[in-house]
Order: sequence, then structure tokens, then C-alpha cells
Amino acid sequence: MSAPAPPPGEAPAVTRRALLVAGVLLPGLLAVGCSTDEPAGADAVTPAQVDQLAGQLAVQEQLVTAFATAFAASAELAAAASVLATQAGEQLERLRQAAPTATTSAAPAAPSSAPAVAADPAAIRATLRAQVAAAATSHATACLDFTGARAALLGSIAAGLRGQDGQLA
Amino acid sequence: MTTPSTSTTTAPTSGEAGSVRAEQDALQLALAAEHAAVWGYGTVGAALAEGTRAEVVLAQQAHRDLRDRVAELLRAAGVDPVASSAAYALPFPVLSAVDAAALAVTLEDGTTVAWVYVLDQAAARDTRELAVTSASAAEVRAVSWRAQAGQTPVTSATPGLGG
Repeated sequence: MSAPAPPPGEAPAVTRRALLVAGVLLPGLLAVGCSTDEPAGADAVTPAQVDQLAGQLAVQEQLVTAFATAFAASAELAAAASVLATQAGEQLERLRQAAPTATTSAAPAAPSSAPAVAADPAAIRATLRAQVAAAATSHATACLDFTGARAALLGSIAAGLRGQDGQLA
Repeated sequence: MTTPSTSTTTAPTSGEAGSVRAEQDALQLALAAEHAAVWGYGTVGAALAEGTRAEVVLAQQAHRDLRDRVAELLRAAGVDPVASSAAYALPFPVLSAVDAAALAVTLEDGTTVAWVYVLDQAAARDTRELAVTSASAAEVRAVSWRAQAGQTPVTSATPGLGG
């Protein structure tokens, strides 16, 4: 099929219409985490929000650990879902950059190096999927308590994890 | 049919992030992206064989519902919602099922960027809730379309923010 031809010089391209937003807005959004200076206005955070950001850091650290634990127990899953673990690590790094003063209260547990004996690969996958979904819900809920770039980052990570969730079905 | 106005394709410059004005400007951009998605899915569906369009129907309806909801939100706030453009140009020819899936990815990614921007600009908690829900739904659809378009990876760490 062919698409309707737009009148010359009049019709905005889909990319222009829908993705112009990206070109114009991304630089500002990407600024989160790229500076240690506290931005003003909507990006100012209260002490309570610093604590909440630390909580979200802990959530993400636990998710990264969950991936490592699941992969140690299932080589099949490790081979199939390595990109998801990489992305979870990228999300963690973005959160750290956005919350340079936040520290988590507890170090994440180290993954077990011993493969689970007679572990059911389907059960391991289902457990990991549930952990991804729980982290997504946690970040989505937390983003409502923030404004500005931190709300955008938490919401974006939540969306990314929702996308990952389906890949573990 | 309406003629696209400059105001619908220009990033807002007024209103500090987190202000009501900034939120409304961001919602107008999201509405423009939803208009484009509703239109674009017509093209996606037309490029697919009959019997394989269920996903398109669902996605188009989701964007139509969201478009109507955002327009109503703006009207309730006394703001005239941006209208759909009279026509849109495709970013690339859509001649196959793979092309159609790639176009769907473009549409979903565009709306995700717009909704993440709403998160950045929103003043109200309810608006952020709408935005994070909408961005998440768009990313879930985008994952499916990226797979059908043969794009890798199919998932994204931070959709709407790049990376």
C-alpha cells in the first residue's frame, strides 16, 4: 500500500510531529544525572525525597542481584536474557547519577555462585519476572512523589521494566 | 480537516517545569503525538494482511482513548486542545509487514518521549500517574513491534530518555 501524499510544504512528517518532541526535549531530560549540581525549581528535592531516592536505588540494586542469582541458577535464562540484565544495570547507573548523595542502607546480597540443584528453569524465570514487575511498580509509584527530571527518570525506568516483564513470560 | 499550526510543533518555552502552564504545554505535545499515533496506525493496519491486525486495532484504540482523555483534560482546564493535522508524511515507505512494524515502533517511541516529557513538566500527581501509565503501555507495545520489525534489542533501559 502507499501512504497518502502530503501536500508539499504543509504536512508534518510523523517523525516531525511525534518525534520532534524527542529532538527538542531530550537534551533537557537527559541532563538528569549528568550534573552534581542541584537543579532549581521542579528538580529540587527534600530530605524525605533523598531518602526515597535511596530506597529506589536499593530496589534497583536488588533487581540487579536478582538477575545475577537467576542467571547463576539457569544457564538457559542467562543466555536468553542477558540484555535485560545489562539494561537493569544501566538503569541502576542512571539512578545513581540522579541521586549522587543518596546511599542505600544495605549492601545488596551477593548472588549464589552455586547453581540450584534441580531448579526448575520455568520457576526461576517466573520468579525473576515477578521481581522485575515488582521493581517496575515500585519505581512507577515513587515517580508520583517527585517532580521534574527525577520523576521522568523513575517513570522511564518503570516503563522500561514493564517492557522487560513481557520478555520473561 | 485542520491545518497544522506552528504552536503544535514548537516546544513550549513558557512556564517553569512543574507549573500548571508547563504541564498544559506538555500535555498538548502528548496530544499531538497521540493524534499522530492514531493516524499512523491506520497506515500500519493497511500494510498488514487481514487477520493479522488485531494488535493494530487494540493499539489504535488505546491511542484514540488516550487522545480523547487528554483533550478532555485540557478542555476542563479551559485550554483549547491541539487538533490533528490534515495530513502526515511517513518517515519511510511502508511497503511490507516489517515496514509496518517499524512504523509502529516509531509511533510508540514518539508517544513515549512525549509522556516522559509530561512526567518532567507535570504539576499534578494525577497527571504524572496518567503519564507513567501511558509511557509504560506504549513501551510494552513498542517491545512487541520491535520484535516484529526485527530490531534488537527489543527492550529499552530508559524509554523516552534514550539509552
